[in-house]
Amino acid sequence: MNPAMWISKTGVQAQDAKLQAIANNLANVNTVGFKRDRAVFADLFYQVERPPGARNDDNTVSPSGVQLGNGTRLVGTQKVFTTGNLQTTGQTYDVAIEGQGFFQVEQTNGELAYTRAGSFSINDQGRLTTAQGMPIAPEVTIPPNATNIVIGEDGQVSANLPGQAEPVQVGQLTLVNFMNPAGLLALGDNLYQETVASGVPIEGTPGQDALGKLRQGSLEGSNVQVVEEMVDMIAAQRTYEMNTKVLSSADNMLQYLAAAVR
Amino acid sequence: MDALIYTLMSGAERGMRAQQIHANNLANLETGGFRADLELATSKAVNTGYGYDARHMSQLQANSVASRAGVLRQTGQDLDVAISGQGYFAVQFGDGEAYTRAGHFVVDQDGQLTLDGRAVLGDGGPIVLPQFTRVQIASDGVISIQVPGMTELQQVDRLRLVKPEPAEVTKNPAGLIVARNGEPFAADETVVVRSGHLEGSNVSAIEEMIAVMNLTREFEIQMKLYRAADGMAESGNRLVGG
Repeated sequence: MNPAMWISKTGVQAQDAKLQAIANNLANVNTVGFKRDRAVFADLFYQVERPPGARNDDNTVSPSGVQLGNGTRLVGTQKVFTTGNLQTTGQTYDVAIEGQGFFQVEQTNGELAYTRAGSFSINDQGRLTTAQGMPIAPEVTIPPNATNIVIGEDGQVSANLPGQAEPVQVGQLTLVNFMNPAGLLALGDNLYQETVASGVPIEGTPGQDALGKLRQGSLEGSNVQVVEEMVDMIAAQRTYEMNTKVLSSADNMLQYLAAAVR
Repeated sequence: MDALIYTLMSGAERGMRAQQIHANNLANLETGGFRADLELATSKAVNTGYGYDARHMSQLQANSVASRAGVLRQTGQDLDVAISGQGYFAVQFGDGEAYTRAGHFVVDQDGQLTLDGRAVLGDGGPIVLPQFTRVQIASDGVISIQVPGMTELQQVDRLRLVKPEPAEVTKNPAGLIVARNGEPFAADETVVVRSGHLEGSNVSAIEEMIAVMNLTREFEIQMKLYRAADGMAESGNRLVGG
């Protein structure tokens, strides 16, 4: 059979996967703290049918050989960790990270996950949690009758308690950073998990070392650029179309061949 | 049997295999840094056997790559690097090195700069970056980082950039660019890189589509000739059979 058909198939499949990534990016254009995925492709291995420099006969050496490619493949999707737009919300428990870093979240199984979505709230025990109700680590508990809760740039959480003129510190938010954030595993729910590729989390105080500062009353929007995704979508669709054209033209060839034989 | 049928068979086979190359180019229309494969038909005279010298078999030659630059697009990521003009990045491949135009570099868990899992080479071998708050790649490939707590950028390494002539390169089975003679290329100071950009594939969709169309029709002609050869043989058979 004509190998061009299977090669075009890899092209069609790759564009299909890309379209899926684009659809997911576009669906999350308003998700707080979302980072867009970028599909990365690579060409498949080449089959070397005749290496250049092979001997044709005793006297002549072939000046060039034949190498046939086998199509394309999706190497993976890369999370793009550029900062999204900061939106001012004025909410007490909305915290954006200005720069690098992740908040730590305790999952129900006790393991830590990481997030950049800072739309926090407090649960019935006064503990600071994510919008999904997962507690933030290290633990920050707001006393029940506290007022004027302030989250500083360095992560210090202070509040005014009744009967005290000076605000008191009620907790400290920390951030973690990774050597290779793109290697984190996306769990959904705006959460990421540490992997071998990401390296171990390095914990620190916001604003120090490589970590970003915190901004209370702001949220980091999604870093998806709608126009970019749309252009990508058009390109993916047309590439898909052209690959199917090659597919049908390879089919035509076989049809001519079959028709020629009686 | 008449020799015509074997001569045109070589043409039809070449057409089918050339189709494979164009299908591969089109499948990689969206592969970053991909360089299109070029395909060429050559003739090979059949010197032995009977008859006069009218038989030239068609042969496919394909192991050179198009050197035209792909389209640069802005990504805004510091570790996305594109080469403007001619040149290649060097990456580790087995014990030696291979070259590529793809520049979506990633820092792995040990701080090593990698491309699809292969170490990116600098002046002194694989590039390893210490922890940084900011990284900058200058147009000459010099990588500078800002170490946490410092305000100034400091130079850590320089990308190994080479600029071979288009005729000197070919692809290896992994799809990376290598030297035809197997020797590593010397670093070239004149290669210009652009950080925050990625280069797309240099495949021209129009050229490839036209080539595919052309090849299909050429194949059709070969099949027509095949029928003509078959017809001739049949007439001969009728003559003999009466």
